[in-house]
Order: sequence, then structure tokens, then C-alpha cells
Amino acid sequence: MWYSGMQLLDSEVDFDTSVAQAVPGLAAGRCQRCGQKGLVELPSGDDYCPHCINLGRVSSQTTLYRFAAPPLPPVEQPLTWQGELTPAQARIAAELVAAVQTKTEHLLWAVTGAGKTEILFPAIASVLTAGGRVGVATPRLDVVRELAPRLQAAFAHTAMAVRYGGVSWPQTTVALTVMTTHQLLRYYQAFDLLVIDENDAFPFVHDPALWHAVSAASRGAKLWLSATPPKRLQQAAKHGKIGLSILPRRFHGQPLPVPQVQIRKGQLPHKIPSKWVKALQQIMTTRQCLLFVPDIAWLAPIVQQLKVAVTPAVSSVHAADPNRVEKVSAFRQGQLRLLVTTTILERGVTIPRCAVVVLGADSQRFDAAALIQMAGRAGRAADSPDDPVWFYARHDTLALHQAVHTIRQLNARKSQ
Amino acid sequence: MKCVWCQQPIQMNWTLSQLFGRRPLQVPQLCAACLRTFAPIDAATACPGCGRQASPKLCFDCQRWQQQGPLLHHQGVFAYNAAMKAFIQRYKGLGDWRLHRAFQAQLIPSKRGVFVPLTSEPKHFASRGFDPVLGLFAHLPLRLWLQKADTPTPQAKKDRTGRLATPQSFTVRAGVVFGQAKRVILVDDLYTTGRTFYHAAAALQAAGFQGEITSFSLIR
Repeated sequence: MWYSGMQLLDSEVDFDTSVAQAVPGLAAGRCQRCGQKGLVELPSGDDYCPHCINLGRVSSQTTLYRFAAPPLPPVEQPLTWQGELTPAQARIAAELVAAVQTKTEHLLWAVTGAGKTEILFPAIASVLTAGGRVGVATPRLDVVRELAPRLQAAFAHTAMAVRYGGVSWPQTTVALTVMTTHQLLRYYQAFDLLVIDENDAFPFVHDPALWHAVSAASRGAKLWLSATPPKRLQQAAKHGKIGLSILPRRFHGQPLPVPQVQIRKGQLPHKIPSKWVKALQQIMTTRQCLLFVPDIAWLAPIVQQLKVAVTPAVSSVHAADPNRVEKVSAFRQGQLRLLVTTTILERGVTIPRCAVVVLGADSQRFDAAALIQMAGRAGRAADSPDDPVWFYARHDTLALHQAVHTIRQLNARKSQ
Repeated sequence: MKCVWCQQPIQMNWTLSQLFGRRPLQVPQLCAACLRTFAPIDAATACPGCGRQASPKLCFDCQRWQQQGPLLHHQGVFAYNAAMKAFIQRYKGLGDWRLHRAFQAQLIPSKRGVFVPLTSEPKHFASRGFDPVLGLFAHLPLRLWLQKADTPTPQAKKDRTGRLATPQSFTVRAGVVFGQAKRVILVDDLYTTGRTFYHAAAALQAAGFQGEITSFSLIR
């Protein structure tokens, strides 16, 4: 059944609910779906939960129907992927399979461009072989859209569902579900393996409801994947509460490009210092370039200057841009040489021979994780692992130091 | 202080006269960025009959209403743009009661009178747990003179002809005394065809109200 393992509201079910376990929507001052306190009282005297209201309101009048997720028939050889893992990747993949067998929680700390998705394949395959259900969740919709076709290609004969807000749900039984982390709130003890990718991204880290959703939706192993794990997970791994695998090398074996920090007082975004413009011209002779800025308001003035000074093949993109998909694909195909962007492209984008420049790297909006992710867009291809990364700032900040320090540390770590 | 719409903190630059003056501090519910996404209607160029945007002369719809009796001289505060649709969807559709005070600074009618809300049907109140109109106008002294009977389909699910053909469902509550009231201001969330407002006005007149009736809404 498509609703196996889900917890749904009265308004979301129009079929027989007698097989489900019915629980009150609110109990003991907590929402039973997202686990949060802080209920709001209605004039009628009822309460409702404001945290997860976007998925439909849970109030004192609401019943939550929880459907069991019975095991699926076992499958032989679900993995149809023909590629090969490098020795370092294979060693980590074996650690993940072991973690899945013992149903433990495990953190995979792999640098940007290490081939995390491929490392997962054996672990996912081991669960599917045994007739288990697998969920892959990530906070970013772009990452869902990128992951889904790759997983479907690797598990060609496995029924897969993709779930995010605003799409209609497939009404079939599936063994593999790729979704945004918010959709996890609709699941209860559903997944024998739950993978949370890019778990340090907004809005996951700062949302206790989503952390709750992960523990509620899982009934087996939990795998956290990140290039920049949040402190909470790093601490848990350090104290041995969860397992840890570190992959400090990219798949091509070369170190991460170390960002060069330049401090200069300037009048950004209205006037880019001429020295930086020259450096940019230099970079652009051999490479494409992603230029990150901290604010949408910076995009227009910076594009205007670069169009004159550097290249006419320049454009900008931000989250609400209607032509977002077209622009990014034009950049991928090389029609655009220089793309000015906000942090939306900090993750899940792979462009060969691409330099990275961060303007206003001292902005409060860029924490160390964001800076490491942005720097991680460079040097992804085996033929140019040393693409330059420049952080241009007006002041020194702690985040800048942390980012550079972490990258150096990962580079210094032997890939055993 | 957080914006009730985007949940981001609101930065307020109070002036000294605001902080130490006699007037109560006006605490904004929406941040400036969110407020900019809603489109206020300029009353100077709006239709004098229904408050329709950019229609300085009496519009065609109002000319038709005029044949049936006096006009309501409606005043609408915001146009029904995408941001406002999203607001109504969240407030009425999802039932997020936290938003009920979002527009309390904007929902101040320019005329004086007795504020009579067009309350929701008992059925809708039971499923939402609140009355959206009473929530939006909670900062005004409201008089619950009118009540609405349950109707088979809500206005929002009908087309224009269907809306205009809606039968009367308002009655004046038992025991209401109009007293010295000279002017009634009907308040509701949305004015679309005017059908609901004119029904409410007719119900008041049928119950013997003699004074002027005008109307006011969040959205036109």
C-alpha cells in the first residue's frame, strides 16, 4: 500500500482506516506528528500545533492514523549500477553496511566531491535485498531533484517514489522513497534505513521538529551524510554515541582547493576593487567561475560591473528567479561563463573546471559550513583538481578562519 | 518580536517621542519586507461604490447595485494579489490563528459607526475553531448583530454568477436593540461581487434599522 508507514490526518485519508492505529493529534501538550510543544489556543478552546501547520493542521479535534509498514518481498541483486568504488570508498561502504546490519546510527563525513551517493549504494542494496524499506531525505529540494534520477538509475528495478511539497503522491507500493526532510513528518516507524543527506543545510539544523521526524520515521539504521556535519553530530560521534566514518579525499584522490582570503576595504557591491577584477579576468581565461554574494540586492550591480569589465557571458540567479533552472543549465553547458549567485548553489552542483569566488565572505549569512560548501564547488573534475577559490572580505571573521582551517585539516588527514 | 508571516525578527527603530510619549506603543505584526508584498488600494482613485482599484467613476457593477437601493460605499484596504491569496490560504484554508492580528494596524476604517462583523457559518466555525472575521477585526469594538445560517457551498467555491445568485442567509440575532446607532459599518475579510454585503445590509433593514449602512473589508 502506498500509505504503509505513514501517519496521516483525517483530511488526508479517504479510504478504510480500520487497519490503522488511531492516535489523538495532540497529547500531553505535544503535537504527536512533529513532537513539538508550544501549542496555540483557538477561540473555540481547542489547541493546534503551529510548527507543522504547512502539512495540514493538527488540532485537539484531529486524529492521526498510523499505518504499519509490513516487510516487502526480498529482492535479489537490486543494485544495477555498474560503476566501481575506489578502495577508500569501498572501505567506507563496508562500514556503512555493517552499521545498517546492526541498526545503529552512523555519520559519514565525506568532503565535497567524494562520491557520497555511490558509497551509499551497497548499504541501500543490503536493506532492499532483505525486503526492507529505504528513505533518503534531504532539506534541499534541488538535492532531491538531483538525487532521485541517480538513485533510480542505480536501482533500476526498484519501485521508487519522490515526495516533496506540491507534487501528487504516487499511489503504489515503494521500497525506496526520496523526499524532502519535511515529508518525514508524515512517516512513522517506516524506514529500515533512513539516509539524511546534507543534514547541516537550512532549514534542517535549526528545526527541532525535523530532528524529531528523523527519529520517529526510522525503525532501523540512520545514516547522516555531510561534508560539514553540525556540531551536535560531531560531538555525538566523538563520544562514541554514533558511529563515524571519515572520507577526507575526493574520488580523484587530490586535496581540496584551499581558499585564499583577501581582506580589502571597498564599497561593495557598488564598486568591486580593481585588483579583484583583474584577478577575476585572470581566472576567467581558463575556467568558468561561480561568484557567490551574500544578498540578492548585490546581484544586479555586480553583474552590471562584470559585464563591462570581465565577460558579457555573465548572469545572476537566486532562489525566486523564474529562469533559475534554465540559467543553471546554460552555465553547465558553458553558454554562461560567469554566474553570480546567492547561496542556493552552494550544494549539490558539480561543474568541471570551475573557479569559486565569494564576495563579501565576511557576511553574517555565511557560516563556516556555507563557506566550505561554496569552496567545494571548485576542483571537482579529475583533470583540474586545483581550481582557484577566493574569499574576498572586508573584515576577518571567525567563520572564515574555521572554514580554511577545516579544509586544511581534512587535506592533512591521510586517507588511510 | 517576530513577523507573524515570515517568522523573522522585526527590527524596530523607536523614536524617543514614541518611547516616552503618551500614546501606547504600536507593535507591528508584519515586518516591512512582508508588508511591501501586499498591495494597498489608493482610496482616492477607487470606485466610490465598491472600492474597486483604479476606477474613479462609479463602476458598472455598482450602477446595477444602485438600481436595487442605496450603495454601501465600500472601502477595501488591499487588492487581492498573490501575497494576499497566500495569506488567506494560510489563515482561512490551513487555519493558522496566529495570523489574525497581522493587519490590525491597517484595518482602521476612516468612518465612525457601529462595527458589525459578517460572522461565519456555525459549520465553518466548528471545523476551523475560530471565526476568521472576528479574528481580523478583534482590535475593533464589534457588535454581533448578525448571524449566518449554514449554506451548502461556500462563496469561495463558486463562480461569479453562482455568487450573485446566492440566497439570503443572514438574520438579525434575537434581542438585538439598535438603540441610537446612526451608522453601521459592516466588516468582512473579502468583497468580491458584493452579494454577501448587500444581503447583510438587507437583513439589517428588514429588522427595522433606519440609519446609514456602509462597509469595510481587508480585501477588495
